[in-house]
Amino acid sequence: MKAVETDVLIIGAGPAGLAAAFETASRGLDVTVIDESLSLGGQLIQQTQNLSSLPSDLSPMRGFELAAHLIKQIEEYDIRYLLGHRVIGFYQDGTIGITDEVDVFPVKTKKMIVATGAAENAVAFPKWTLPGVLTIGAAQTLINRDFVKPGNDAVIVGSSDFAMDVALQLSEVGVQVKGIVEKSTGVLSRNTEKVKQVNKIGIPIYVDSSIVEARGMGAVEEIVIKQEDRVFTEKADLVCIDGGRSPILDIFYQLGTSFGFQKELGGWVPQYNKDFQTDCKDVFLAGNAAGVSTQGALVLTGRLAGMNVCEALGAVSKETAAVEKKGLWKELEIVETKYNLDIWHARNRHVDNFTHPVLKDQFIS
Amino acid sequence: MHIKHHPVLGKKLQNPVTIYFNDQPYTAYEQQTVAAALMANDIKRLGSSRNLVQPRGLFCTRGRCCSCYATVNGENHVRTCMTRVEDGMKIYPNDEDPEVRGESCGD
Amino acid sequence: MDKSTIICRCEEISLEEIEKVISNGARTFDDIKRLTRCGMGPCQSKICNCLVAAAINEKTGTPFHEIPLPRMRMPISPIKLDTLATNSTTFSSVKSVLDEVELEDGKVR
Repeated sequence: MKAVETDVLIIGAGPAGLAAAFETASRGLDVTVIDESLSLGGQLIQQTQNLSSLPSDLSPMRGFELAAHLIKQIEEYDIRYLLGHRVIGFYQDGTIGITDEVDVFPVKTKKMIVATGAAENAVAFPKWTLPGVLTIGAAQTLINRDFVKPGNDAVIVGSSDFAMDVALQLSEVGVQVKGIVEKSTGVLSRNTEKVKQVNKIGIPIYVDSSIVEARGMGAVEEIVIKQEDRVFTEKADLVCIDGGRSPILDIFYQLGTSFGFQKELGGWVPQYNKDFQTDCKDVFLAGNAAGVSTQGALVLTGRLAGMNVCEALGAVSKETAAVEKKGLWKELEIVETKYNLDIWHARNRHVDNFTHPVLKDQFIS
Repeated sequence: MHIKHHPVLGKKLQNPVTIYFNDQPYTAYEQQTVAAALMANDIKRLGSSRNLVQPRGLFCTRGRCCSCYATVNGENHVRTCMTRVEDGMKIYPNDEDPEVRGESCGD
Repeated sequence: MDKSTIICRCEEISLEEIEKVISNGARTFDDIKRLTRCGMGPCQSKICNCLVAAAINEKTGTPFHEIPLPRMRMPISPIKLDTLATNSTTFSSVKSVLDEVELEDGKVR
């Protein structure tokens, strides 16, 4: 059995986790990074679109290029990687249970940075359980990570920025996108350029519309769409559900942190202060787990959490940390206000609520 | 269908392996997950639901929904979206709960 | 939405079943779970959580910030008993399952 003792345990090796790993490892701390997948980079590795709002030290690049950059940055440090490992839970004495799928072993850490990211929300309609009905993130993973074309004719349910990106990417690999179905009265994507591109390649967007049902024997074959009074059927062997994303909370729930609700950040979010520290004092968080935002913000929150852990463990002086943190928050403001002002406001409200959380001690349910 | 030439990432599928679904051979590539490789071969139905016996297959690709459960190399309820293919892998659909009572299980 | 729509994929609980227990007084995910088995399958409510919150909101008008999160128990994701029952003599992972039960003289208090 391989018991581990470390200064900093980072859960999740996506943009936030990797950025936090750099901040902490580069200042001489003993860092352990755990991720369920077998590769570093998290969901960045299948993002082939250009990322628009990155921190000023990063030039515009595609998602998988950002992953490569963040990985290269930490190459020279002696970081312990537990890839293909999962956290199964937490014990009362502060030990963390980790499994390599063969065994369960304990990890003890001085500080923890939880960067578990966000999960996609489901949208239900009759027969959405049929094979061939996937989340939109799943469809993107298949084409850009596994190099598999999941169908010939697709319908997308939901119209976020991400839906526009994936609609274009599906088209590029030869999937015919028959339509984008949006229940609201307007397209949700704020990226007018992307929406224009989608229109240009002839993908219809049906607003004020919903799915009546999916049909098929053994897998989805067609989908019935209702737009106002018109009901029509499209042949589709792939249906992609874009229901938005919410922070992944299981780990925080078990750790017993408080939660607050911010719709713009994805709903329930672990409560944290300006130092990205939860009300369990050794637990910090970063990335989408701290509120769903843009990739640039994920990197910056990772740096902030890393910097605060360095300060807490005495790896940087208080003075240096104060200067660095001020700079990082300023940069976060720039990136996030440019991306979506509502998210920046929600994040500030959330931090302000730290001392009076909505959900506290709910273990007693 | 496997994407041999990706418009952005180029030619990435290098090392083919053979996997078996219901004893039929199919081509997969080393870095793919089991669920993805089966989908490339147009196999989408990976099992049935427990109560209503409805078809189930890949949904989230993140190891969360458990919709892609299948039996892999004799092990039941494997999340095939989190498991990479290996040459000669034998996969069967998850159509019923595994037999846990009986002599072989010491009951 | 059609009432027959499945909300919990694992246990195959329909919107109709969920709405029925809400009209009988269920107000949280855990209420609904105890009455219907919704969220008790292998995914442990990871997928239906947001759909159930929407059903509660729709049926009762309770705002989302007043609908608490479902209970998330250990282990966080499915694990083989074989793996959980590790052979280690210095570290017993199985005790984790009992962590939430308080014992007194070896008995549940």
